[in-house]
Amino acid sequence: MGLLLSAGVASAGSAPPAGAVPPPGLPPAVASLPAPYRAPYLPASTGERLQEVTSAADPKVLEMRSLRAKLDIAPRDLDAAIRLANGYIDYSRQIGDAHYAGYAEAVIAPWTRLAAPPASALLTQASILDYRHEFDAARELLQATLRLDSRNAQAWLTLATLDMVQGRYEAARRDCAQVMSTAGLELGSACLGNLLSYTGQARQSLALLRQSEVSRGRAPVGYQAWIEGLIAETAERLGDWPLAEAHYHSALQLLPHDNFLLVAYADFLLDRGRPAEVLPLLADHFQSDTAFLRLALAQAALHSPDAPRYAWMMAARFEALKERGSDYFGREEARFALQLQHDPETSLGLAQRNWQFQRAPWDARVVLEAALAAHQPRAAAAVATFVEETRLEDPAVQSLLRQVPLPARHAAGESR
Amino acid sequence: MKGLPSPLSLGRLALLLSPLPLLLAAPIAQAHSASDAYLTLSVDGTDEYTLHGQWDIALRDLDFVLRLDDDGDGELTWGEVKRHQASIERYAYGQLRFKDESGASCAVQPTRQLIDAHADGAYAALFFDVHCAQRSKALAMSYALFFPIDPSHRGIFVMHSAEGTSTAVLSPQHANVVLALK
Repeated sequence: MGLLLSAGVASAGSAPPAGAVPPPGLPPAVASLPAPYRAPYLPASTGERLQEVTSAADPKVLEMRSLRAKLDIAPRDLDAAIRLANGYIDYSRQIGDAHYAGYAEAVIAPWTRLAAPPASALLTQASILDYRHEFDAARELLQATLRLDSRNAQAWLTLATLDMVQGRYEAARRDCAQVMSTAGLELGSACLGNLLSYTGQARQSLALLRQSEVSRGRAPVGYQAWIEGLIAETAERLGDWPLAEAHYHSALQLLPHDNFLLVAYADFLLDRGRPAEVLPLLADHFQSDTAFLRLALAQAALHSPDAPRYAWMMAARFEALKERGSDYFGREEARFALQLQHDPETSLGLAQRNWQFQRAPWDARVVLEAALAAHQPRAAAAVATFVEETRLEDPAVQSLLRQVPLPARHAAGESR
Repeated sequence: MKGLPSPLSLGRLALLLSPLPLLLAAPIAQAHSASDAYLTLSVDGTDEYTLHGQWDIALRDLDFVLRLDDDGDGELTWGEVKRHQASIERYAYGQLRFKDESGASCAVQPTRQLIDAHADGAYAALFFDVHCAQRSKALAMSYALFFPIDPSHRGIFVMHSAEGTSTAVLSPQHANVVLALK
């Protein structure tokens, strides 16, 4: 995007700037992808399809429009605003598109701007910041929410998830206890089950999550799909591929278009050496950057003639994010740099920076992969120590760790 | 639901759950590119008091505000965009103001509207000229596109002049810039 822009007004369509040179032998554009470098143009016919947008036939879109209409009638109604904002955030996550998080922020802005914002507005704003990976700011707002409303289960749950993704497992354990006391055993168990999958207790995690699965019958579809997705991930941690796949399927039956589930399942397929299956899975999800990366990885794994185009488009999207000052794609960008740009040094820098903010298994993995590829195993020392201490079970991470000859690792091994 | 202490909790759980699984999935689900528009201004090669502009605005973003998808099929065609060109211009140019050194408004004259393909989709490319009644060495530009409905929108701004090229990221906190023409 920025690449196109830099061509400027007078010279739109001229050669792209340095750094944006496409790979040699770039194949002609396929119909489904916009053409890079094309100058602004007048479409040839009125029937030319330019852009997918949210369809008015989508019940979610209708629901958001109806909530918006209610708020327009009563613009000072905080509950109506929160309902609409949460609807937008929900949709933003589902389709993998940050625009709706921005719309949500605008909806609650009249309350977050107050000198003393209400707890519900703080909580909603915290979810928006969390979605944008502004973790520190999100944590502050969650703590402020809990100061106003110490039994707010949603705030405890969001905090638990935030602590988990940042690898603060002791804190997450306390948060899950609060979830249990404020929302009940079922949700508390799911919270704890999620946590145990990171701390060397994946078996117990599976048992807890399966209990939630058994009793899920009357829960909303989104909740059921969440439990199924967690079971799938936990099964992956245990290396039980058939179990993982079965639960990805169940989750996707419940929420077929959910960006998070689609991307997680695509990663599973890529890991299993089944890139061809990723293409139909994500065919309708070009708009999501995370989905697009998996498509680009699958194209590369298949040595498809389209692979360079996908890689180029992905680079342009990262470039656009950089222009607006966003850097919350560290994990994705590290994978992109390593696997599609074959640049282990850059990948390592990105992965190490990402590790400062996020410590989920995939975050560990990108550091280890880059450090090995860059022949700098010592750069993965902090990750190795973290995995040792937390006892993370993850076959991919463990297999990479075995290739990292770390003094710290030997020391830890001897002390057992 | 097995394991729940009381029907009361079940009710609370259901209430709680509507936005919930999504929040839980959040940190692993990553965020995705938000709304950007690309505004480029070039000082005219012969008349340094005239500016030529190109403003690329995502069709997706315009559709959210102006409902361009007339048949509601989830796909924007050129015919639909073309039908709404006047309202697109009205909306966009209402959010971009230029003033000369005396504080007088300058005229923004739309010249044409094309389509521009970006890495994340199709954009309306709005071309325009800026003319001020008085010759002014500097202009104040204020940019407010989408800010009231989406404070995360950013205007990626590039200015070409004889002095060189400068850039800025326009946001609700940084919506006003001064442009040196000479």
